[in-house]
Amino acid sequence: MDPAGPEPTGRIEVRGLTKHFGSFTAVDHLDLDVEPGRITGFLGPNGAGKTTTLRMLLGLVRPTSGTATIDGRRYADIHNPLTVVGSALEATNFHPGRTGRNHLRVQAAASGVSDRRVDELLELVGIPAAARKRAGGYSMGMRQRLGLAAAMLGDPHVLILDEPANGLDPEGIRWLRGFLRHLADEGRTLLISSHMLSEVEQTVDDVVIIANGKRVAQGTVEELRGEPTAFVRTSDPDRLTAALQQRGLRVAPKAGGLQVTTEDLAVVGDVAHASDVAIHELRSEQTHLEELFFNLTETEGDRNRLSGAAHARAGVAPDLPPPMLPPPSGPPVDPSVVAAPPADAREAGR
Amino acid sequence: MTPAIRAEFRKFFTTRLWWGMAIAVVLSGAAFAVLFALVFTSDIARGPQGAAVPQTDADLAKAVFTGGIQVGYLLTLAIGVMTIGAEYRHQTITATFLAVPRRGRVMGAKVLSLLVIGAFYGVLSLAGAVGAGTLVLTAKGHQPFADSSIWRALALSLLILGLWALIGLGAGILIPNQVAALLISIAVAWIVEPVLGLVLALTDWGQNISPYLPSRATAAMLESTGGGFDGQPVEQLSWWAGALVLAAYAAVMAGLGTWRTVRRDIA
Ligand SMILES: Nc1ncnc2c1ncn2[C@@H]1O[C@H](COP(=O)(O)OP(=O)(O)OP(=O)(O)O)[C@@H](O)[C@H]1O
Ligand SMILES: [Mg+2]
Repeated sequence: MDPAGPEPTGRIEVRGLTKHFGSFTAVDHLDLDVEPGRITGFLGPNGAGKTTTLRMLLGLVRPTSGTATIDGRRYADIHNPLTVVGSALEATNFHPGRTGRNHLRVQAAASGVSDRRVDELLELVGIPAAARKRAGGYSMGMRQRLGLAAAMLGDPHVLILDEPANGLDPEGIRWLRGFLRHLADEGRTLLISSHMLSEVEQTVDDVVIIANGKRVAQGTVEELRGEPTAFVRTSDPDRLTAALQQRGLRVAPKAGGLQVTTEDLAVVGDVAHASDVAIHELRSEQTHLEELFFNLTETEGDRNRLSGAAHARAGVAPDLPPPMLPPPSGPPVDPSVVAAPPADAREAGR
Repeated sequence: MTPAIRAEFRKFFTTRLWWGMAIAVVLSGAAFAVLFALVFTSDIARGPQGAAVPQTDADLAKAVFTGGIQVGYLLTLAIGVMTIGAEYRHQTITATFLAVPRRGRVMGAKVLSLLVIGAFYGVLSLAGAVGAGTLVLTAKGHQPFADSSIWRALALSLLILGLWALIGLGAGILIPNQVAALLISIAVAWIVEPVLGLVLALTDWGQNISPYLPSRATAAMLESTGGGFDGQPVEQLSWWAGALVLAAYAAVMAGLGTWRTVRRDIA
């Protein structure tokens, strides 16, 4: 894959991307790779620098330093970019006095796309009638759908969507999820930002997490989730540990109890019952990903704390020094053992 | 370049602004024509003290037909402010630059489309003015089309409206808040600058400067003889020099706006 080659690779590459607003650093030496045929979630708490990064990628904001390319080219160097890269930034970018359909027709004219395609897309996103009304009266969900239609206008092979699930009802989110998956299966590149892990965790294949403009983790969802774990408190930790280990489970002491590497709570309960120890507490633990994200949002706005203790898990973000990860705000976690997610979340993520 | 220009026209003709302005331009064109025709042909105005009133039939027709242009240019000035102001206000500028990331090209498309839009409103204004003005002038026994300089004034009217739209475009970019940009540019063009011109004309040194003010250059293009505070005709440029001066203002404003736009972060 030669990024400078004539064949479109569908790859997004960000290298050392930095943006200062005055003395404030919104994006800080960010590296990012997005691969075609996959959905990449671009996550971070409010103000992490997601929108700024996407705007630099789209040539709207001038980077202080670093590069951001799509198909190996800067956005401004792409010929007729709407046919290569589709994007939806905020759901508010419509003139309130212009109909949604006319908004798309303006974009169609600017990129040489036929007006017929405009009506096809309005059908596709499910607002053919509403789009003939002025955009000023649109609900958030309608704006999102209109924005999505605008992004799809030039049938691009790269899609960049900023918080696309914002304002969608559960039905809308389900629809969006299926739609995005379909696009990825067609081999397109999808980069989707969100400040809510739960919103995209079931949708994305890859995850990039940023906080305070810096990347804190990158990997597949599976990698970042880590192994599922259960937490158990018991009357006789030694006996239960031995019994669980006999069943082939990994067990480690943790915060007044035991951490068991399994997602099946019933097994733990059965083993305890069989070996005649009392259980005082038994629950699934958060995944590493959930915990990581939770800690980020907890420490939001507190830049100094971010340079504190190490909380990296080996193999997750191999190219990042541990100090970039935030300290845990919950109970301490043994980095080599990770907590278990709710079972339903894991299933839906497949 | 053509797709960008087509997009600009679509933007303009897909909001209510354009036909609201169209009605205002036609009505003001007709109203000023009737007003000027009646006033300038009245006995008082044609008496000995009416020195600043057009005397020949040709000058009279020019003054009557282009009377609405003096208001029309304020409207296209506002249109220029709003085409760019609305893009920033409603953030459609993001969509615009996503479709055409070469910002200089977008600005070029805006300049060309505004010149055409200015001419379009010029045609509307003149349609109202020539229609109504011809009726009144003929009824009063004057020749509406006495010589060919009338046609030149009509043609230059179209250019005037386009050039003022470009001045508005620049003002709309240089003054970030759309409402402030509208108020400031209209107040300056309508009141501050013309008054300044009259005041300058009272002083010896100012007399040489005032013909180069935009409103005086506009009047020069129309060859309409304006009166000073003393009612005497003020000095003005020839029509072509006026056109060059107004074009220079438009070029500077649009140029500054483009320079600003190309650099600016769209965040
Ligand atoms: N034009 C600007 N001038 C000054 N500061 C800015 C500007 N744009 C963004 N910022 C700041 O940069 C930081 C990152 O903003 P950005 O919008 O990229 O965050 P985000 O990750 O998209 O957040 P959210 O989840 O709220 O959308 C914020 O602190 C914001 O206040
Ligand atoms: Mg954002």
